[in-house]
Amino acid sequence: MKALQRFWRWVLAVLIAGWLPVVLVAWWWNASADSQDPFFPPLETIWEQFKVNWLFANVGIHLVPSMQNLFLGFAIAVSVGISLGVLIGASESASRYVEPIIDFFRAIPGVALVPVFILLLGLDSTMRTASIAFAATMPILIATIEGVRSTNAVLLDTAQVFSLTRPQVLFRVRLPNAMPIVFAGLQVAFQIAFIVTVASEYLGSGFGLGAFTLISSDSFMIVDAWTGVLLLGLLGYALSLLFDLVERLSLRWYYGQKKLA
Amino acid sequence: MTTAISITDVRMEYPTPDGVKHVLDGISYDVTEGHFVAVVGPSGVGKTTLLRLLTGLAQPTGGSITMGGERLSGAPKGLAVVLQDYTRSLMPWLTVEKNIALPLRNEHLSKAERTERIRSSLAEVGLEGSERSYPWQLSGGMQQRVSIARALAVRPRLLVMDEPFASVDAQTRFDLEDLVLKVRDDFHITTIMVTHDIDEATYLSDEVVVLYGKPAKVSDVVSIDLPFPRSQVATRNDPRFAELRTRIYGKVRGLE
Repeated sequence: MKALQRFWRWVLAVLIAGWLPVVLVAWWWNASADSQDPFFPPLETIWEQFKVNWLFANVGIHLVPSMQNLFLGFAIAVSVGISLGVLIGASESASRYVEPIIDFFRAIPGVALVPVFILLLGLDSTMRTASIAFAATMPILIATIEGVRSTNAVLLDTAQVFSLTRPQVLFRVRLPNAMPIVFAGLQVAFQIAFIVTVASEYLGSGFGLGAFTLISSDSFMIVDAWTGVLLLGLLGYALSLLFDLVERLSLRWYYGQKKLA
Repeated sequence: MTTAISITDVRMEYPTPDGVKHVLDGISYDVTEGHFVAVVGPSGVGKTTLLRLLTGLAQPTGGSITMGGERLSGAPKGLAVVLQDYTRSLMPWLTVEKNIALPLRNEHLSKAERTERIRSSLAEVGLEGSERSYPWQLSGGMQQRVSIARALAVRPRLLVMDEPFASVDAQTRFDLEDLVLKVRDDFHITTIMVTHDIDEATYLSDEVVVLYGKPAKVSDVVSIDLPFPRSQVATRNDPRFAELRTRIYGKVRGLE
C-alpha cells in the first residue's frame, strides 16, 4: 500500500518535472520540420542521424574513450583531492599556508591549462586524463579542507576524551562530518571534469565526443555535429542524475537529519 | 576508602586581552573511589574549566591532578564523558550501535564481546532495539541515554558528566536522574558531575563540592548523608534534603 502510494507520488513528480521538456522538444520537432537552413536541420533528421551514429556504431571509438578519460581523471581528482584535503584541513597552519596557492590554481579555468599539459605530456589520452584530474582536484580539495576544518568543537572534544587516535579522529570524525561539504565540491568538480573532457579533445585528437563534434562541424557535417551536441547534453544530464543518486545514498544521515530539523 | 582522583592546589589562568584572568585558585579535593560527586557553583565560576582539566582537555597552570597516582596529561585511561550537548557529541552519521562502538575500537575486543557490550549498555539505559536508529531520529532524552550507554560501554574507571540533563524537559530529567542512580547502584563508577542545579546535585550525590569566588576556590564540601536507594518523592521530601540544599544554596550564592 505504502509502496504503491510512493510509486504514484514518483509518477506525479516525473510528470511535473517532465512536461516542459516534452513541450519544448515537440515544439523544436515541429518548428524545424520544414527547415531548409543548413545550420538548423530538422530535428527529425538529427534524430535519424543520431541513431546511425550513436546506436551504436560510433560508441566504441568516440564515447568510450571520452568516458574513460572522464572517469579516470575524476577518480584521480577524488582520491587526491580528498586525501590531501583531509591532511591539510586537519592542520590549522597547513591550511593557512596552502590556501592562497590553491586559490590561485582554482582561479585558472581548467581548460586554460590544456595547452600546458599538451606541452608536458603530448597529445595522447594521458594528457587529457591529467588535465581533467588537475582541474577537478581543485574544488574537491577546497571543499574537503573547508569541511574538515569546520568540525565542531564538541565533537572533537568527545573524540579526544574517548582517546581516539589521530588517524581515527581524522577519518572517523572529521572526514565523515565533512562529507556534505565534500559532496558539494564533488558536484562542481564533476561539471568541470565534463567540460575539460570535451575541451581537451578539441586539440590533436581524432577520437572522443569533443573531437567528433568539432571535426563534424569543421567539415560542414552539421547534422553530425548536432548529434554530438545532443549526445553530450543527454550524457551530462544522465551523469548528473546518477551523481545526485550517489549523493542521496551516501548522505542518507545528512538528508534524514535535515528533513527532521 | 581509597582515593580515585587527587586534585591538589590546582590553578588555572588564561591570558586575555585585558591581562591574565585567574579562573581557579588553589582547588584541592580528593574524589573517593566509587563516589558520585557533584560540582556546583554560580554561572561562570569555572566549573567547566575544572571539568576540562579533569578530562585532560586542558592542563592546569599550577598544581596537579593525579589519577591512580599518575599525573594527568591528556585524557586519562578509562575515562568516559556525557556532555550537555548530546546533539553535537553523538556522531550523526553513525547509528546508535556504531556510536557506542566507536570508543571501543582501541580496546581490542572480539566481535562478540563488542556486540555484548553494546547490547548490555543499551539494556542498562532502557534502549533495547534502538541499535539501528540514528541519534537524530530519537528524542532528546533518548539521545542522552545513548550518550550514557556509550560512556558505560567503555567500562570507565571515571565518568565525567557536564550538565548532562540541562537540555531535556523536566519529566525526562527526572527519568534520567533515576537512571543515573540505577547506574550508580549497578556499577559504582567514580563519577564527577558538573551542574548548576542544586536539587539535582543533592539528590544524586555522595558529596557536593561548591566552587565560589573570582578566582574560584572550594568554598564548601557537603557530604550528602541521605540514605540509598533514593526516590524522587521520598528523598526530596526528607527534611534532611531541605537542610542540605539550603546549605548548598547559601554557599553558591555566597551568603554567610
